[in-house]
Amino acid sequence: MNTSGKNTRASLLEIRGLSLSFHQRKQVAVDRVSLNIATGSTLGLVGASGSGKSSIARAILRLVNPDSGDVLFKGKSIYRMNPQELKTTRQRIQLVFQEPSVSLSPRRTVEQTLLEPLQHFAIGDTNYRNEKIRQTLHTVGMDQSILRRYPHQFSSGQQQRIAIARALVTEPDLLIADEAVSSLDVSIQAQILQLIQGLQKESGITFLFISHDLAVIRQIADDVAVMYQGQLLEQSPADQFFSGPTHPYSKSLLSFAEGKTPSGWPGERWHLERTRQSTGNTSTCVFSGFCQDKMPVCERLEPAMHDIQHKNRDASGPYCVKCHLYDEVKTDDH
Amino acid sequence: MTAPALSVNDLSVWFENGSSRVPVVDHISFSINPGDATGLVGESGCGKTMTAMAILGLLPATGIRVRAACIEVNGKDIYNLNATQRRAVLGRDIAMIFQQPATALDPVFTIGQQVGAVYRRHIGGNKQHVRKTMLNALESVGFSQAGEIAAAYPHQLSGGMRQLAMIAMATVCKPAVIIADEPTTALDNSTRALILQQLERLQTQHQAAILFISHDLTVVSQICRDVMVMYCGRLMETTDCQSLFAHARHPYSAGLLSCIPRISDKRPAPINSIPGQRPTAAGLPPGCHFAPRCTRAEAQCRISVPELDDENGRGTACFRPL
Repeated sequence: MNTSGKNTRASLLEIRGLSLSFHQRKQVAVDRVSLNIATGSTLGLVGASGSGKSSIARAILRLVNPDSGDVLFKGKSIYRMNPQELKTTRQRIQLVFQEPSVSLSPRRTVEQTLLEPLQHFAIGDTNYRNEKIRQTLHTVGMDQSILRRYPHQFSSGQQQRIAIARALVTEPDLLIADEAVSSLDVSIQAQILQLIQGLQKESGITFLFISHDLAVIRQIADDVAVMYQGQLLEQSPADQFFSGPTHPYSKSLLSFAEGKTPSGWPGERWHLERTRQSTGNTSTCVFSGFCQDKMPVCERLEPAMHDIQHKNRDASGPYCVKCHLYDEVKTDDH
Repeated sequence: MTAPALSVNDLSVWFENGSSRVPVVDHISFSINPGDATGLVGESGCGKTMTAMAILGLLPATGIRVRAACIEVNGKDIYNLNATQRRAVLGRDIAMIFQQPATALDPVFTIGQQVGAVYRRHIGGNKQHVRKTMLNALESVGFSQAGEIAAAYPHQLSGGMRQLAMIAMATVCKPAVIIADEPTTALDNSTRALILQQLERLQTQHQAAILFISHDLTVVSQICRDVMVMYCGRLMETTDCQSLFAHARHPYSAGLLSCIPRISDKRPAPINSIPGQRPTAAGLPPGCHFAPRCTRAEAQCRISVPELDDENGRGTACFRPL
């Protein structure tokens, strides 16, 4: 699997040119996205609401069928698996959602909630299952005395721990957290982030962490991928991203996160335009309408994904940007 | 010294069920001057929203009790009002911006109808005048196509635009006090910046006093000069944002600050968290409510309640401040 040199870690998940649209292909949710997640690492997927982050998560689990492209899990295409293979793979990929009060069934006790995935995937016998549930609860910092209780008897932080336990009970290799801490208070968010970091250290689990909160991403991600209107604009190692993102959109995202409005930001027009549906127009850069560094070429030609790995040989993950600013400079000025 | 636009004196809210009494807001007092913004910060369930609802008199009459020495807007009492009097005050002298514009706006009326209705109810005038004021209000929050927005129904707007429309609605009568309850929590960063800009404009242009309720200290520090930290219905620390970030005196404030993930060039150290769980309102410990989770707590903290002392504008309710 790891054939492309010592700089690349083995990929657990590889997304290749994934496209996904809704409404008879009128609205493009994901537009030719390629991504790699290295085994044991955390990829932070950021972008404004509606940029296609959650659609990617759904495509990875084959909950939706893409128009084109492929998702490889441990080198094997998820879309070419037969039902049996798919079932085993889904056991290895688990999802944690944003709102624990909604994602947990109010009519099931904690025990029933945690038992269901084990029964569904036919894992172990009764003794094993009971022991596994007890262990997993311990991992997320909860006591087995809560087994008979219902979700409404817990605070939101405890509910999210139970949701994480539900995802962990099948011992997944990849955990997708879709805005899993966004609705929590900072103090509880901190506890969940601690838990996630601890899990990774102990069990080497791989995370796809979807969030619009860059500060949270900085806290736990090894690599950062930036989405905008369904397209991937940049994937960078976190240290590089936070010391100086490459794409102009990433730069404005970062300055917003630091509480600053980038100069010349279009304000209201941004919201009006953004609510328009993306049509998958490939003759321009998707961000050209708002870009501060726009050049004439940006409105004529869609930029290619440029690999800027060679400039930073220390980078461990992919380091690439989709922007004309990084077109190979032929001569220095023109 | 300017007279405060909003002053709240000794406000308490509790649930009452037969003989049991569950405190939600516990003897809090504060005031906000015109043109100032004060943040009310705390975790969900600490009583922030209950404080706002109690100030506005919006809490239901059954099961919930509110008691205050006085609540005043520009020196005018708004605590002892009957329903008719209250209707005349809400929206005109004091207005609220809610967290979820999607549920706070009425889905069957256009934005224009809803913003116009507030103005017509309180100030009135002929149709053209109301429409003109309504369009002005929409323009002033940043909509360049005010006519288009006025004709739109809430579902036709994005979350950020709905929140801007809510702000237009809350400010069309230019109230002296605006209570903003988590106005940016459901929004992403770029939209948040837009909303904060508008709240700042209200402070400087209309001299509105803003009570900004949020669980997010970072956002509060971006817009407010002063901040009040609330825990289990009590004010733990009141100070200005700068001092709080530079040197929090209450262990709870310090704990909250250490939980905030920050953006930095270097990979951050693993995040801190406050140990333990927040007690429920029905099972509050005696003494300082934070004592069971506090690393500095002593015997005294578990027995008696620390008063919010006030020296040089900084208040800390703690026997052993940092």
